[in-house]
Amino acid sequence: MNNMGDANVINARHIVTRLDEQIIHQDVSLQVRQGNIAALIGGSGTGKSVLLKVLGGLIRPNAGQAMLFGTDIWDTDTITGNALRQRFGMLFQDGALFSSLTVAQNVATPLFEHTTLPRATCLQLARLKLAMVGLDASVAGQMPDTLSGGMRKRVALARALALDPELLFLDEPTSGLDPVSARAFDQLILTLRDNLKLTVLLITHDLDSLLTIADQVIVLAQGRVLGSGTLAQVREIDEPWLRAYFATRTQDVITHAVSNAAQEKGNQDGK
Amino acid sequence: MLARPNLHLEPSTLPPQVTVGGCWQLTRMEAVPDWDLLRLPPQIHLQGKALDALDTSGAYFLIQALLARGATLEGMTLEAFNPQHRAIFELVRQHYMASIATPAIKTPWLVKLGAGLHTLIRQFASGLSLVGVLGTESSQLLRHPNRFRMKEFVTQLQAVFVTAIPLVLLIMFLLGVVFAYLLGRQAIQYGANVFVVDGTTLALCRELSPVLVAILVAGRSGAAMTAQLGTMKFDEEIDAIRVLGLSPYAVLIIPRLLALVLALPLLVFLGDLAGILGSMVVTAQQLGIGPIAFIHRMMTALDTSTVVIGLGKAPVFAAFIGLIACQNGLHVARNARSIGLNTTATVVHSIVAVILLNALIAVTLVNLGI
Repeated sequence: MNNMGDANVINARHIVTRLDEQIIHQDVSLQVRQGNIAALIGGSGTGKSVLLKVLGGLIRPNAGQAMLFGTDIWDTDTITGNALRQRFGMLFQDGALFSSLTVAQNVATPLFEHTTLPRATCLQLARLKLAMVGLDASVAGQMPDTLSGGMRKRVALARALALDPELLFLDEPTSGLDPVSARAFDQLILTLRDNLKLTVLLITHDLDSLLTIADQVIVLAQGRVLGSGTLAQVREIDEPWLRAYFATRTQDVITHAVSNAAQEKGNQDGK
Repeated sequence: MLARPNLHLEPSTLPPQVTVGGCWQLTRMEAVPDWDLLRLPPQIHLQGKALDALDTSGAYFLIQALLARGATLEGMTLEAFNPQHRAIFELVRQHYMASIATPAIKTPWLVKLGAGLHTLIRQFASGLSLVGVLGTESSQLLRHPNRFRMKEFVTQLQAVFVTAIPLVLLIMFLLGVVFAYLLGRQAIQYGANVFVVDGTTLALCRELSPVLVAILVAGRSGAAMTAQLGTMKFDEEIDAIRVLGLSPYAVLIIPRLLALVLALPLLVFLGDLAGILGSMVVTAQQLGIGPIAFIHRMMTALDTSTVVIGLGKAPVFAAFIGLIACQNGLHVARNARSIGLNTTATVVHSIVAVILLNALIAVTLVNLGI
């Protein structure tokens, strides 16, 4: 646990991204504290996925710094960069499981590549991770294309957790899942965060997810961060898209959730 | 510097206490550590005061090490673990049993053989059923000719025929050059120069051009068809066509098959011409047979029937290539790997089919005395 002094696990500063002359991010700055679950919201095409890829070291920004654990992932040598990559995991939208490998091999791949542990041990750890994300042992030997959408996401999460990362990037973890699976997935992320002290940055369109698990909400619009803070703070922002977004849910549900959260926070502080 | 993971037994206390110290993290487990051998009773207390760090992999190795020394999963009581370490330990303890794999059952070779044969037979059967479906679809099209997808047909013809012309010309020209040159080197020793014309034109028109052009088309257009149809299947485009009340066979398969059947003879004819031109160039240089003499000799050596046989084989090859390509495309499973596998299968199967068919046709024609 390096950089204990810096509580911000993610610290993006003035990121500018252009893809094919199209400006995706004009000036994006955001911070996520250690142990927080931060949700990135915004309309379609506001560059949420691109931002996740910038932070994950997949798309190079044209300007700005993407600091993870105090190191700019775009401004390090290969060795430090690869060490940094092992400290975070990424869950892609459709799982991005390797279709030629079994489920257990998929989860064990990071272990095969980045540790000197024997293969059998790696596969044992993979099965442990699969159990942790709530998958039955019989799944381990199956091929990814035989799995349902919810199971694929769980396998992908297990793979993202394989190296015991401190930070997780999740790209729409609950999209395409039925409400029951989606809520179960939310609970899973909460449990893992509480147990493993993970920091999570997730993209979501799912208002239920936002209400249940997000400690911090970051709103992206017109290539900038429109606001960042607790749900209650973000709701105060007067912006057409945000108003429409929150209006999809009846007023009382959100108010209820916000007051609940405030109450819990009060309880925690009181302890 | 953080301490290495270590275990230490205090046998004097009751129940015995095991002190866990250092960093139990994945990065520290480079090789499974070799701790001093100590036997443990089933019930132990774990003292976590000296524990610097613990992650799930570390907890896994800790539990594994303790179990290997005689402890039991339920018999471990945690003492002085900080809340986070305790949470991780409990999480791993709860799921520990899932990590133990049940050994995979090996399939006997007889079962594998049977399964392989079964797949083969099923593939053949589905090929036959594709032919049947295409038959009924074509008869429907004959009754309602306005349903024929002219635009798709023309697009496919462009892809299969027009864009393949330069490649066919180049390859057959070079083949003609090489073939005539090698044949000429032998013939010149016996003064049989003029028979090089017989040899090259006969071989090119009857065997080489049809087979090589068919193989070229199988690799080029057959593979493309499988990949395209496979991607459409993968993206549920084919289902969308069905839902619209259209037949994917009429919309996609029949235009492709017709385009192939029409294009291949034309390509073979162009290949004949290019090959003859290539050998003409060589005979003029190497053997002193000028173009006029070449053509004159060719007219006596090359029967019309030889050329027709060569051209007649082409549609047969094309039909098989098209059927194999379309069948493999339509039977793609819903994953990216399957598209690649089926595309490879198309190329291999259609090349094998072309060569087998060619041999079959050759034997038949010889027996018929043609």
